[in-house]
Amino acid sequence: MTSGMTGDMTMGTERPDDELLSAFVDGELDDAERERVDAWLREHPEDQRRVQTWAADRAALESLFGGTLQEDAPEALRAAVWRGAPGAGPPRWAMAAAAVGLLVAGALFGGAGVWQWQDQRLLAQETRLRTELAAGTAQGWVERAALAHSIYVAEPRHAVEVKAQEEHLSRWLTRRIDIPVKLFDLQPFGFELVGGRLLPDGPGKSAQLMYQDAQQRRVTVYLRKPELGTDAAFRFEKQGALGMFYWIEEGAGYALVGELPKATLLTLAQAIYLQHPKVLPAAPASPSTPAAPASRGRHPGPRLPSPFPRRLWAQKAGRLQLHTPRVLPIMRSASPMKRCWRCCTSSSPA
Amino acid sequence: MNAPAAFRRQLLGAIPRLRRYARALTLDEAAADDLSQQALERALLHWRQFDPEREMGVWLLSIAHNAHLDTVRRNARITVTDPEELLRVQDERDADPGTDVGLRMDLMAALTRLSAEQREPLLLVCVEQLSYSEVAEVLRIPIGTVMSRVCRGRAALRRYLEGGAQQRPESGSPLKRVV
Repeated sequence: MTSGMTGDMTMGTERPDDELLSAFVDGELDDAERERVDAWLREHPEDQRRVQTWAADRAALESLFGGTLQEDAPEALRAAVWRGAPGAGPPRWAMAAAAVGLLVAGALFGGAGVWQWQDQRLLAQETRLRTELAAGTAQGWVERAALAHSIYVAEPRHAVEVKAQEEHLSRWLTRRIDIPVKLFDLQPFGFELVGGRLLPDGPGKSAQLMYQDAQQRRVTVYLRKPELGTDAAFRFEKQGALGMFYWIEEGAGYALVGELPKATLLTLAQAIYLQHPKVLPAAPASPSTPAAPASRGRHPGPRLPSPFPRRLWAQKAGRLQLHTPRVLPIMRSASPMKRCWRCCTSSSPA
Repeated sequence: MNAPAAFRRQLLGAIPRLRRYARALTLDEAAADDLSQQALERALLHWRQFDPEREMGVWLLSIAHNAHLDTVRRNARITVTDPEELLRVQDERDADPGTDVGLRMDLMAALTRLSAEQREPLLLVCVEQLSYSEVAEVLRIPIGTVMSRVCRGRAALRRYLEGGAQQRPESGSPLKRVV
């Protein structure tokens, strides 16, 4: 920006014009110009006051409208974005994720099934998104979990960073996010581990594990160190088609995210909860060989470790109506699980 | 072909900024969302013109700018801002007791008195934190013009804030007439 420069020969002595002072406030000057203005302002308190006032006005204007950024986008606007999208109506993932109110992230999300635009440029955009995630502009870790789910679950090619079969996945994630990351076994419920990835998450890192069943349905487990004061209650949230169970266990924040019936998600959440490393200190590193499967009974079923803190679980999940009978038919239809947690564990010692 | 999902997702992510700018332009919540919607629709219509290397936010702001200009032209003779209405909107919005309500109201009032050609560059620089070159891109004016308009807008805003109640906007056609 040089249009405001006058009289190079007398630099430092001639008064910078208003345009130069104004550009100074906006950080638009190059080094030489800035130094010249700086020098002038040091000697001329009146101009300095003016410049300070302008800077204050700038800040005031910014804060005057800043609140809009925190507001949820009205449904009408979100709908406008998806109008005429390929496929019938708005992609369900996208609607769900949008409903979470992930606004500040400037995020790319949603769109399972209509992901058609894959090339290097898209990856570059995602990199930018990850930067925004890293800046912690997404609100709350649960929202970030949903956001991360929506982004990566729709990715056929780059869904995970590290494939499940790579042995170091667990160690790698554990080291990076500073909480024990266990590769939860959801095979009894028909979900195979696809792999995992490391995500920027505010000031820290989080891990995402992705599972997929035979019908290509994907769920993600989001793991992070929770902030102090984060609510530890076991909760369920439904955002459109997207369901989320989240809880905090022994310093690890969990969010299970998926577009599945609540009952199915609950079953998976239970399994993850029960496989938490600290809850089951004796559990072997490989989750596929649980220490004492509660396989008594009629069905060869999900290999739930036993004993486990059933009472604690029931207490936490009480709000979720864990024991309502309608859970069962849904579970039968939604997953290849052959028997349920309730009936199979009722005979085992509490 | 319809706009791809990746593009739509970016659009979705840019909504908060779009709304903020629309709010600053129109100083009215409903009008701002109308403008935002127009801008989103235009963006979807012309998605092929978007260069993914560029920033979606800036592109969208330029669309909003154009849409706003169109609206203003259409409503040129009837656009009127009632100061009472302005205060009511301001009160509604003022959920944060920590901010200086007086200053905010003054700022809003002063903003309405700036000419459109001064207000837009000033808002883009101060509120949207765009660089002069980005503002030049959004408004399609030379960068030197951005520099001088920001400067004049800033000076005018200050005059209005310092109580120049009788002063009129110094140049250009007023975006809104205060009755």
